Amino acid sequence: MSTVGIIANPASGKDIRRLVSYGTVFDNHEKVNIVRRIILGLAATKVDRIVYMPDYFNIIPRAVDGLNRQEKLSLEICKADIEPTFTQADSLEAAKFMRNDGAGCIITLGGDGTNRMVARECGEVPLVPVSTGTNNVFPTMVEGTVAGLAAGVVAKGLVQDAPSVIQTKKLVIYKNGVPVDIALIDAVALRDSFIGARAIWEANRLLQTVTTRGEPHNIGISSIAGYLVPLGITDPAGLAIEFGDGPNTLLAPIAPGLIVPVSIAKHRRMTIGEQVRINKVPCILALDGEREIEVKENDEVCIKLTFDGPRVVDVKAALRESVLKTVGSRG
Amino acid sequence: MEITKEKLLDFYNTMVTIRSFEEKAVELFAAGFLPGFVHLYLGEEAVATGVCANLTDKDFITSTHRGHGHMIAKGGKIDLMMAELFGKATGYCKGKGGSMHIADVGLGILGANGIVGAGQPIATGAAFACKYKQTGAVVVCFFGDGASNRGTFHESLNMASIFKLPVVFVCENNMYGISNNQKDHMNIGDISDRAAAYGIPGVTVDGNDVIAVHEAASEAIKRARNGDGPSIIECKTWRHRGHFEGDPSVYKDPREQESWLKKDPILNLEKRLGELKFASASDLDQIKAAAREKIDSAVEFAKKSPEPSPDDLLTDIYAS
Repeated sequence: MSTVGIIANPASGKDIRRLVSYGTVFDNHEKVNIVRRIILGLAATKVDRIVYMPDYFNIIPRAVDGLNRQEKLSLEICKADIEPTFTQADSLEAAKFMRNDGAGCIITLGGDGTNRMVARECGEVPLVPVSTGTNNVFPTMVEGTVAGLAAGVVAKGLVQDAPSVIQTKKLVIYKNGVPVDIALIDAVALRDSFIGARAIWEANRLLQTVTTRGEPHNIGISSIAGYLVPLGITDPAGLAIEFGDGPNTLLAPIAPGLIVPVSIAKHRRMTIGEQVRINKVPCILALDGEREIEVKENDEVCIKLTFDGPRVVDVKAALRESVLKTVGSRG
Repeated sequence: MEITKEKLLDFYNTMVTIRSFEEKAVELFAAGFLPGFVHLYLGEEAVATGVCANLTDKDFITSTHRGHGHMIAKGGKIDLMMAELFGKATGYCKGKGGSMHIADVGLGILGANGIVGAGQPIATGAAFACKYKQTGAVVVCFFGDGASNRGTFHESLNMASIFKLPVVFVCENNMYGISNNQKDHMNIGDISDRAAAYGIPGVTVDGNDVIAVHEAASEAIKRARNGDGPSIIECKTWRHRGHFEGDPSVYKDPREQESWLKKDPILNLEKRLGELKFASASDLDQIKAAAREKIDSAVEFAKKSPEPSPDDLLTDIYAS
């Protein structure tokens, strides 16, 4: 039996960056619409079952309700058996449930933050991350129908390995020697005392960052890495940057429409397995664009780069590979 | 943004003053001292506090039927508020208005309002005046989730948007419009989604986190003051009590109530103040004791104040 999980975050795309920059507004009806197209894509690949995360807006039940009569589905749609708290913890619990329930693929709708929570518990289950957040590097803008088709071919076992399914990197955050969290794209130390509205938009608060990747076409803090040492999704390296007076000042798009000067004191490439210590404490540590961890004066925080992040489906490659495998080239 | 120890302690002081006022109102209402209805702000203290800390006396607010918190956070005089709740001649409305009509124009408080959604056009008009007169002032319009279903909301946002008025619409989404859960009275989950229909920014924040509210309000107010127009801030929060005192809240799921009580905004702030070593438990106890003393003194003032005279029955009214 083939099962696909869907984790759609109703809270993504609504934070303060719509005030301080020009962040995309993603209302929940549009998420319902995207999920509707995903479901139809999954149905076309004859996936047997969908398991979804319950959420306060009932995104998936609304998507199913809105389907036309002729599109009524044969596939089974079940709610993940978790106790919803309507916080980001639900994404983590839902991913855990889906992994244990035998999902062959999980589709996420959200930003880097949503995927970070899912990645903590999805294990080896490949992800199709659909962007509905703000500073998105991990998820991509992809049409829902196509995302559903790609997740379907992965869950059915038609494609399972590189280059269609890619192993990604991650950062493990150690606080006083204990792993406390992970990040998929970047961990940023900020000259702040509070988590507050969570987002990052003030360049003068930046102290230090570690990134798993960074390209000039990224948006967010990882774009800074992209302007220094571009690193792709599969490059076996990361980048450590310290901000402050130094030889490089560059303009970087740290939020949508917010292109600001950033001064770099120093930077260096990191190898897989290497750790970087956060050297200015107290501070707030932001993970994948959201302020998450309060670091006190006596805390010691280290960030380790590893190559065992979540497996991610390259939608274009997966669909191409599945076509070549099933019908071959018609040319 | 930088938030100093002094600012954080100010937030705490305002929040515990609001809470003490409301807890006293519970007691006084049950004892029969307060004529008329009271709608209490218990549990929502972080919203008014975080927002109003960004305002000056030249700025304006419009309030709701649940307005005590807004008044206190904007600097309203507690003695006069309490006297008004008692219906005494020394009250803000000379004892003729009660809880839902308290105003102090000198402080920029354009009034509580007994009609759901009625503050929105008042805020929009005030913002038009600020822009027309080039005073540099901004207006904050507090309203609830239920009020965002009213025609006044849509007309006000349309007008504020097209005229690019200096007004910030702050939705205190406590999940219930009287006894109706939000999911039963609107087809959206986040009221900030409504901003897109008017071409303005809308954000959702944790309304029980005074710092998150303060940061979002600071940016929205800055934006409005700079001439960039209106925005919506939706603060997700929870009222600890019923819609009004005496409402047994049978429509609320007890598990929901329990989970929100754990997210009490004052407890959250106390925890953070302690972690940062900004205040010890005894420092916080002293602030709370001082707040209670202030409220007790306001109650004494109200009790000793005279009743309105029958001779004043026809004064301060629009037509006689």
